Amino acid sequence: METHKEALKMENITKIYPNGFVANKGITFSVAEGEIHALVGENGAGKTTLMKVLFGMEQPQEGAIYVGGQQVKITSPLDAIAKGVGMVHQHFMLVPSMTVAQNVLLGIEPKKHGLVDNAACIKKTQELSDKYQFGLDATAAVADLSVGLMQKVEILKALAKGAKVLILDEPTAVLTPQETRELFEQLKLLKKNGHSIIFISHKLEEVMELCDNVTILRHGYCNGSYPISDLNEAKLSRLMVGRDVVLKIEKPDPKPGKAILEVKSLEKLSDTGKVVLDHVSFTIREGEVLGIAGVEGNGQSFLSDCISGMQKYDGGDILLNGKSIKGRKIADIRQSGMSNIPEDRMTVGCVPSMSILDNIMADRFERRENMNGIFMDKQKALKITDDLIKEFEISCDDRSEAIRLLSGGNIQKVVVAREFTSGANFVLANQPTRGVDVGTAEMIRKYLVRQVREQNIASLLISADLNEVLEVSDRLLVMRQGRIVAAFPKANMVSEDELGEYMLGIKTMTPEEMEGLL
Amino acid sequence: MNKTKRIENTFDIVRILIAIAVAYLIALIILALISDDPLNVIGLFIGGPFSSKKHIGDIFTRMIPLIFTGVCMCFVYAINKFNLAGEGAVNLGGCLAACVAIALKETGVPGWICIILCIAVGALAGMLANAIPAVADQAFHADVCVISLMLNYILLYFTTFILKNVIKDQGAAVTASYKLGNKVKLPKLIPGTTIHIGLIIAIACVIFVAILFYKMPFGYKMRAVGINPTFAKYIGIPVTSTIILAQVIGGAFAGMGGAVQILGMFPRYKWESLTNYGFDGLMIAVLARKNPILVPVSAFLIAYIRNGADLVATKTQIPPEFVSIIQGIIIVLVAAEMFLSGWKKKLIFNAARKDLKEKEAKA
Repeated sequence: METHKEALKMENITKIYPNGFVANKGITFSVAEGEIHALVGENGAGKTTLMKVLFGMEQPQEGAIYVGGQQVKITSPLDAIAKGVGMVHQHFMLVPSMTVAQNVLLGIEPKKHGLVDNAACIKKTQELSDKYQFGLDATAAVADLSVGLMQKVEILKALAKGAKVLILDEPTAVLTPQETRELFEQLKLLKKNGHSIIFISHKLEEVMELCDNVTILRHGYCNGSYPISDLNEAKLSRLMVGRDVVLKIEKPDPKPGKAILEVKSLEKLSDTGKVVLDHVSFTIREGEVLGIAGVEGNGQSFLSDCISGMQKYDGGDILLNGKSIKGRKIADIRQSGMSNIPEDRMTVGCVPSMSILDNIMADRFERRENMNGIFMDKQKALKITDDLIKEFEISCDDRSEAIRLLSGGNIQKVVVAREFTSGANFVLANQPTRGVDVGTAEMIRKYLVRQVREQNIASLLISADLNEVLEVSDRLLVMRQGRIVAAFPKANMVSEDELGEYMLGIKTMTPEEMEGLL
Repeated sequence: MNKTKRIENTFDIVRILIAIAVAYLIALIILALISDDPLNVIGLFIGGPFSSKKHIGDIFTRMIPLIFTGVCMCFVYAINKFNLAGEGAVNLGGCLAACVAIALKETGVPGWICIILCIAVGALAGMLANAIPAVADQAFHADVCVISLMLNYILLYFTTFILKNVIKDQGAAVTASYKLGNKVKLPKLIPGTTIHIGLIIAIACVIFVAILFYKMPFGYKMRAVGINPTFAKYIGIPVTSTIILAQVIGGAFAGMGGAVQILGMFPRYKWESLTNYGFDGLMIAVLARKNPILVPVSAFLIAYIRNGADLVATKTQIPPEFVSIIQGIIIVLVAAEMFLSGWKKKLIFNAARKDLKEKEAKA
């Protein structure tokens, strides 16, 4: 590292949000030219905030930023780009209806006679793509691209604007293993070209494989920078969470009982008339977790919305505890045994401005045992909330605290605590640990497995995190383009690579192969 | 972190107080500029409303309809649907209550039953008025704000039609209904003032609504639906019916307000224009931070300012409309969330820093 020139340095950065949350406290780290530098930490450790400061989206209260040895003040994303800092966001910032070339050169189009020179646009984009072996077609519409390719357009966009330092915020979260591998090759090529890359990830094995150095954040503080060669995964996770994280989940073999949820030839059309669920059938029994893997956007969200009653379905049926849920109210479906950990906790799973108590009592404030005549029983509610805060180790000042003031992991704990204690015998868990720190994710997964085994309930786990579906599920299905394309009787016997091939459509099982496994 | 919440809460109150102070200051400057005798006028404006028992009583009397409509608008804010039919509901409630009073005047029905019937009919009228935009919104996605504003005029013309064609006293010199009769006249609460038992009814409504909001499941449902309807749907709260019911209940108070105002203050019904009580209710609710318990406080403040302006107008040439300036400034400053937000942020930052230092010192 000493032999390389320093590309970027952030020194003593402190950022306090208007709600009083101290997101960063005195963080210092530097990245050399031609270095891939990992930024790791639990959710709420301050990674995203630190990068927002670097990209000019937030102003720090203290600290200095140096780019290429010069102290700079970055006032806005445009300013950051001008100073050679580019960012690839977790959620892509692309215009889907425009072509790759138009997206990449948006705002910096080559001009001829004062008009945009389309031919030059396409030529320039194609050259850039070829130079870094991105394999993009400059004339294709972004809407038609796969997620992996869209991400490349994002990277190219930053490069076209002259970024020397690239920030990648959890770039692999949406990719299949194959696409991830491809991305890593390209990132290494960029590194060879002298670019510096800041790589944010929750996946430690990726950090170990790709990066040169790593900076660890913990509770807003910097927990040191290390060369990767000095670390292993176990050491790294200890530095992140301060204890050993068991990546394996111990669980006894399932003893499936009677069917709890039966999905029978389910069909669903999107608002635009596209088939998004195509004769999906499966059964989940007492005491087992059924996992559904798949690249996001292949019908998983529609499936979970149909099962939870949030959307209507167009054909087939869903039986919960033997009764069809067709046309029934959500309160009624919940009554007959469903609980639901939704994909999007902030807009669906909670009311951010209400208190922890209000969020926990949301599904049970009207139950007779929690009422005192026609009034809500305050004492009962306090007890229920305090018990759950204790049981789920929700870190908060007290139960009347607005949930928006908690970290992402703690908000998810509130949602999970409510849904697991609702008295249901079926738990729908859609991305239950997305964007949640390693420690909390582990706790949620273990809790799910334990509840299913001990309480003899059934669970459907939909997740884009392959590690998670493989570890937690008993049986595993793969979804692609609204269909079940593979079924495995034992999830922990499947390799990530094999799963990836089914997810990407390289392989598909025939109905005969899947018979008896659904 | 609870410190943050405390700062936010304290700050909200301080902000309203500062907004009022700023508005007063500006109004006083204007008064000083346009008056020949500024000291006297300012004294009259500030001290006048408290200068006699009768004047103090007038403040409370003026509060009564404002409390009713303020409570109505708290519902509107809670479910986040801008149903402004509370304005027309006051007219409709007042008009139908007058009809009932006139119809029962010659019968042997005891006075207190007549009063209850009149107010109940007023409440029903208000519920109906608010239900129309609420249902149109839920069933046909017709914008509730537009529909309710238009409806206010329909209700006004409907009540004017009834006044001129059904209950008009041909013998009266101006357009007015028959006399409502002494048996429905709301009894005075304190002799020597205009305060009538409508004030008690209004306060009872405030207490009932506060309990409904914060102690009963319906209040919880309303708040959840208002803040995050997606969540409400997901958790199993009946979103549509909660939205409609909240507006209907709110409307009942506006209608009651109309009935109580007519029975308490006037011998005959003669409203031929909108009363503005409904829109005032919106302002009252904002000032009360959308909390029904604080509605009487903000109603008192507005009534006090207006009475001061009226006193100034009777003794000098300055028209009472100048209070609109004060009201306008208060509302702008209270509604403008960024007003003084820099100061609030600083307080929160400092508190967070201090916290951090304490933690570090411990560790």
